[in-house]
Amino acid sequence: MSTTRHDLDVLTAGERASEFVKLLAPYILVIPGLAFVLGVLGYAVVGGVGLSLNETDMFLNQTFVGLKNYVSIFEDPRFQSSLWKTIVFVVSSIALGIVMSMVFALTLYHVGFGRRFFRGLSLVPYFVSGIAAAVMFRFIFTTSGGFVNYILESFGLPAPSWLGDPILAFIVAVLANCWFMVPFATLILLGGLQTIDRDIYEAAKLDGATGLKTFFRITLPLIKPMMGVSLIWVSYISFSTFDIILALTAGGPLRATELISVYMYEIAFLQLDFGQGSVLMVVLLTFNTVLSLVYLKFFVLNDRRYKTAT
Amino acid sequence: MSASFVEFHDLRKSFGAVEVLHGIELAVQQHAFVVLVGPSGCGKSTLLRMIAGLESITSGFISIGGRVVNRIPAKDRGIAMVFQSYALYPHMTVRENLAFSLEMAKIKKDVMKARIERAAGILHLEPLLERFPAQLSGGQRQRVAMGRALVREPELFLFDEPLSNLDAKLRVEMRVEIKALHQRLESTTIYVTHDQVEAMTMADLVVVMNDGRIEQSGPPLDLYDNPATMFVAGFLGSPAMNLIKGTVATDGSAPVLDVGDGLQLPLPAGIREKPGAEIVYGLRPEHVSIGPPGSGLPATITLVEAAGWETHLYADMGQHVARIVSAERLNVAHGDHVSLVPDVSCAHLFDATTGARLSID
Repeated sequence: MSTTRHDLDVLTAGERASEFVKLLAPYILVIPGLAFVLGVLGYAVVGGVGLSLNETDMFLNQTFVGLKNYVSIFEDPRFQSSLWKTIVFVVSSIALGIVMSMVFALTLYHVGFGRRFFRGLSLVPYFVSGIAAAVMFRFIFTTSGGFVNYILESFGLPAPSWLGDPILAFIVAVLANCWFMVPFATLILLGGLQTIDRDIYEAAKLDGATGLKTFFRITLPLIKPMMGVSLIWVSYISFSTFDIILALTAGGPLRATELISVYMYEIAFLQLDFGQGSVLMVVLLTFNTVLSLVYLKFFVLNDRRYKTAT
Repeated sequence: MSASFVEFHDLRKSFGAVEVLHGIELAVQQHAFVVLVGPSGCGKSTLLRMIAGLESITSGFISIGGRVVNRIPAKDRGIAMVFQSYALYPHMTVRENLAFSLEMAKIKKDVMKARIERAAGILHLEPLLERFPAQLSGGQRQRVAMGRALVREPELFLFDEPLSNLDAKLRVEMRVEIKALHQRLESTTIYVTHDQVEAMTMADLVVVMNDGRIEQSGPPLDLYDNPATMFVAGFLGSPAMNLIKGTVATDGSAPVLDVGDGLQLPLPAGIREKPGAEIVYGLRPEHVSIGPPGSGLPATITLVEAAGWETHLYADMGQHVARIVSAERLNVAHGDHVSLVPDVSCAHLFDATTGARLSID
């Protein structure tokens, strides 16, 4: 035995190496995921931006044209009209979608019996593909024999042509979009509600806060970060929605539901103008990114709870 | 002494088919500091929450200040509660936390400001008013929670295990602070804890609860010196009272307790139980001493805890474990054979089946 005090004090080279690996492990483990995300997303984005600056013919020969595609898209009245429709579509989808998600989340939070069943059930629309959802909505809103009109007629009310009228079709498109995206937003908000300590509600009750006051002064501020994430989700889905519109109205009637995403499909894949189609992709990407940053700033980063020393 | 301020009459609480409080009767004087103490699940927190209006009352009634509050909403009961988790609003500054209840009650701005300043002054919260709860230490949060109760100027303060989340040192400090605050404000207080030291040190009136019933209530030292039941005897005091079961017998003319292994404990001369009766002999650890060899019951030391201000010993005495507390620094060690001398005049006797205290002539 020749172990000295000195031997015990100093880590061996092997021990030091293993300490170093322990320190690095989290970063090493993140690399594959990060590489995958950056590879897939980065390639698509960079490739898309590249396409938007070039003219690509049907043999995929590219000619650099600078901002020419941007100029022609922004001057295109059909783009301007679809931009406005998209903005109205997104704003109404966010407004309706967030209110619905909040109402559902609060309901699921408070429901006492069959809690797991209802929570599971509420997610079903999210698992249905957009096309299937759209087909279902077509059945519901078909003018003759549709469920909604059947109900209206049985009450002696007029049965409108839901998908034939530009405004009504737009409303049905918003409803279908909400039906598809609300479950996931509900799940995020429900998660937020469950993080709130029940004692806080009891304290608020003793402090004399009514239901509405409690919601606006306690609940809403406390789920602000989750509200931000939900908003990112619903705006992203609404801006990018394509399958639902295509299967429901195909952009009609009279282009009433021709959103940028639908128009992009038409330009890129029917007219085979990849350059202008990519411009529309860049427009959508910009909208989504800017809005997400705004939500992050005002809902997640501005959360007062995480403020550091004043 | 004024008339009782808070009264419980035949108070019962059931969750579904399970009754958790079985007819609570208690009267609390105005300005009193009452501590409800008992083990987990004894119903003390439920009782407190019923006073607060956070739990419904199954039957019986609670009155506060002469007014039956069964159907009065929590906010109108004139109470304020401090939660174990503090339940501060994390998104509000300390000032906003204090102001919230006053805003809800639509109190005028200048009155609100004055009340917040007063509470902040009493609890030394002035430098913290613009901070958020996440920026405060445990003790500071605790004081904010008390401040939030204070600004409401309630007739009755309720505390639900307020010190459980603090470390040992801070717990003692806050204990002193809460007690000092009560002496200054003289507000009637009902305080729930499972810590018998808090109960003993803070209360004017200790209410020991067990299994949904009040075992005994009274001033702390009365309960300590004259526990009405074996449960109270064992619950109050640390280390706990020695409780040894045995059979009454006689040794010549003197009554003794046969505790097995050929060991006999001397019993007080005035015992009414006849030889053959099963009883439990209770003796506080400070009433057992180590005598000269051969002077008492033979025992073997198994554990020595030198706390500094006193020494705690654990000793095997036949099949029983004896707990001994001495104010002196005893020179004994694990494995030592000692002779234990009980102070018979301090013995408590209990019925072995009912746990009720047996009187001695």
